Amino acid sequence: MVSQHGILYAVHLITNQFGNLVAKVCECLLRNGALTLQAIVRRTELSPAKVRNCLLVLIQHNCVQAFILEESVSGEDAGEPGKALTLYIALFVNILHRVRFSKFMDVVSKELGGSCGELFRGLLEHGRLTVKQIVDRAGANAKESTNTVQEDLGKLVMAHYVECCPAPEPLVPPPDADTKKRAKSSKVMVEPLTLEQRVMAVAMPSVMRRFSFVPNADQVADDQQNVNQPPSKDVGEKRKLHDLESDTALEEEVECNWRANFEELLRRLRHKACVDTIKVRFDDAAATVLSAMLEASRAEEDKVKTANSVPLSLNTIYEEVVKNEKNHSMTFDHVRTCLEELSCPPTFVKTDDESYSIDFTKITEAAQSEEIESIVLKRFGETAYKIFRLLFRAGCLMETDKIADRIFVEKKETSKTLFKMWQDGYLLMEKLVVGGTATGPSYGGSSYLLWKVNKRLLRETVLDEMFHAALNLNLRLAHEIDQNKEVLNLPPDKREGPDKQKFDRLRNVRLLIHSSLMKLDEAIMLFHDF
Amino acid sequence: MSRFKLSSILKRKRPDSTSTSQGLTDQEQIVYKVIHEKENMGMWLRDIKRRSNLQDAIVNKSIISLQAKNMIKEVVNVKNKGKKHYMAVEFEPSTELTGGAFYDDGILNVEFINIMKKICLQKIKQLKVATLESVLQQIKTSGAIKADLKEHHFEEILGALVLDNEVMEVKSNGMGEFGAIPEGKVCYKAFGKQRVGAAAEPGIGAMASMPCGVCPRIRSCTPDGVVSPSTCVYFQKWLEF
Repeated sequence: MVSQHGILYAVHLITNQFGNLVAKVCECLLRNGALTLQAIVRRTELSPAKVRNCLLVLIQHNCVQAFILEESVSGEDAGEPGKALTLYIALFVNILHRVRFSKFMDVVSKELGGSCGELFRGLLEHGRLTVKQIVDRAGANAKESTNTVQEDLGKLVMAHYVECCPAPEPLVPPPDADTKKRAKSSKVMVEPLTLEQRVMAVAMPSVMRRFSFVPNADQVADDQQNVNQPPSKDVGEKRKLHDLESDTALEEEVECNWRANFEELLRRLRHKACVDTIKVRFDDAAATVLSAMLEASRAEEDKVKTANSVPLSLNTIYEEVVKNEKNHSMTFDHVRTCLEELSCPPTFVKTDDESYSIDFTKITEAAQSEEIESIVLKRFGETAYKIFRLLFRAGCLMETDKIADRIFVEKKETSKTLFKMWQDGYLLMEKLVVGGTATGPSYGGSSYLLWKVNKRLLRETVLDEMFHAALNLNLRLAHEIDQNKEVLNLPPDKREGPDKQKFDRLRNVRLLIHSSLMKLDEAIMLFHDF
Repeated sequence: MSRFKLSSILKRKRPDSTSTSQGLTDQEQIVYKVIHEKENMGMWLRDIKRRSNLQDAIVNKSIISLQAKNMIKEVVNVKNKGKKHYMAVEFEPSTELTGGAFYDDGILNVEFINIMKKICLQKIKQLKVATLESVLQQIKTSGAIKADLKEHHFEEILGALVLDNEVMEVKSNGMGEFGAIPEGKVCYKAFGKQRVGAAAEPGIGAMASMPCGVCPRIRSCTPDGVVSPSTCVYFQKWLEF
C-alpha cells in the first residue's frame, strides 16, 4: 500500500514530466488501484480518447501495466466474446525510478563505457524502443554504425541492464489457492503478493527471452511481422477470447521492445549502499572484501530484495579481491580477518563450513536504523537519541524509570522526551495499572507507562515523511524559480548588481536542493526498495 | 493470655495519653509503626495516611512530632522527588530511593558519570576489544577510580557508552581479534578509524540534513496550507546564501 505522501510525490513527478492530464490519470490509478478504461474515464471526467492517450504515454514509460484478470475471462460470461476487460495498474516503483535516471546512467557508463551509456540514455528517455528505433536514434546522434549499436545493446542485455519488455496484456490468474492454504497453516507469516507483483510476475517474459538479444534479428522480425500481420490493438479495446488464447504465440512472433531493467540497476545501487554502510561501521578493507563478495555472487542474485548472497569459499573471495589492482597488497590472512570481523554479531556475513554469505537484511536494517537515529537526534535531541537506541535494541516494552536509569538522565526529562517522541509517532505507549483502582495509583496499586519502538510501523512513518520531504523540496524549488523568473529570463550580460546576486543565489539554491533530493532519494531507496 | 492482661490491652486509653516508654501518643505510635514496617524503603505520606486509617491532620501532626523527637526522617526518592517519603531514623535509605552510586543527595551526578564514561572509553580503545572484566581489571590496576563501585556499575556505564554510540557491543566469535575471548561473550569495541573522533557525533542522515527532516510542524504542512513549503521559515533560513 502506497502512503499518502508517496502518492502525492509520484503524482508530482509525473506532472513535472508529462503534464497535468497524464498526472490526473496516473493519480486516479494510484489512488484506486487497477481500473478499466471506462472506470478511469468516469472518475477523471476526461474523454476516452484523452485517457487512452495518457495511458499510452504511461505504458510507453513503464509507469502503467495493462492486464486481464483470469476471473473475468473464466467467469459466467466466459462464453460471451468481449467480456474480458483490460485493467490498468500504476507501477509506483517505476514512477519513483524516474528521479534515479542519473544514478542508473552513472552505473552503466562506469561499467560498460560511454557509448553503452549513451544508448542506455535513449532507453531511459523514451521508455521502450525497438532495435530499429535504437539504431535510428544512435545514427541520428552520433552516426554510429548499426553493428556497433547492436554490439552495445548486446552488452547491455548481457549485463542485464536492458531487458525485453513485459507482455502488453498478460492474463493474470487468481492468487494460488495452495499458497493461501500454506500461509494459513504455516506458523511463519507469508506475506501474500500484491496485485502489482502478481501482474508483473505474469507479464515478465522468461529469463531466456528477457535477456536474449540476437544482433541483426530485427530484419528477420520485420519480415515475420509482415507475413503474419497481427491486428493492431488500441489500448483499452476489448479483445476477443480467441485472441487472448493466442497471445503467447503472438508474443513470440512480435518484435521485442527493449527497456531499462530497473531491477538489476537497483541491485547495483543496493550493493553500493551495503558497501558504504560497512565502510562506515568497519573500515576500507572490510568494505573491499564485501565488495568482492558482491561481485562474485552477483550472477546468482535473482531479485532485488535477496536476503542472503550465495555461499562463497575464502579462496573465491580472495581471488575476487585481488582481481582489482588496488587490492594486490591484501593478503589471504587479511581477507580472512575482515571476514571474521564481519561475521561477529550482528552478523553481516554468515559463516558455514568455511563458506561465507552476505546477510543483506542485517546490513540494510543497520543502515535504516542509522538513518532513523540521525533524524531522532536532530529532531528530539540527545536524550531522545539514547532512548531510541535503547528501545530499538531492546525490541520490547520498557518502563519510564528503567529507561531513565539506563540512559543516566533525570526521570522528569526522560518522561518529557518520551511524550514528545510518542506524539510524533516514533514510540508506542502502553499504560499498565498494577493493583488498586484502574483510574490511578492508589494504595497498593501503581500505574506504569511502558514504551516501545515498533520497527515496522516506524519504518512506514519515516518513509512517508521522506516522501513528504521530497515533495516539499520539489515544491520549494518550483517556488524559488517562479519568484526569480524575471532574473532567469535576463540575458547573461544584463545580469548586474542585485540581479546578479539573485541569480547567483538561485544557482546555489538549485544546487543545494538538487543534492539534497539525490541524498533523500538514496534514503527512500533504503526504506522502500532495499 | 490471662484475663487481666487482655483487659489491660483492650482498655481504652485517653487521647492525650503519654503512657508509652518513648512518650508517644497512640496516634504517633500507629504512624511510627506503619513507617517502621517499611524499613529502608521509606513510605510515601499518602500511603501512611491510608495505612494508618487516621485523619490527615492527625497524621501530619504525628509526623511533625515524630520528626521533632528524632524518630523518623524525611528522605528523597529519586524516582518521585515531589512525593514526601518518611523513614525510621535507624535505617539508611535503600539504593532504590537514593538511586545508588550515581546519585548524590538525590541528584544525578552527571559529572561523575561522564568521568567514568571517559575512563571506560579510554580503556576500551587501549584494549581494542574489551570485555566487562578486562575493563574492570584495567581500571583497578590503574587506580583511576577511587569510588567503591561494583561490577554492575561498570556494566551500566558500558551500556550507556553503547547507547551514546561511542562503542559498539558485539559478541565474540572466538576468532581473530576475539581469539582470547570465549565464543558468545559480550565484548565492546571502539568504532573503525572513520568513526574515531567523530563517534560522539553520529553521521547526519539524508533526512536530518534538511529542514523537513527535523521540522516540528511537518504534520501540518501541506502544499497550499498555512504551513507550506513556499512560506516555510525553516526553508527560508536554510536557503539563505
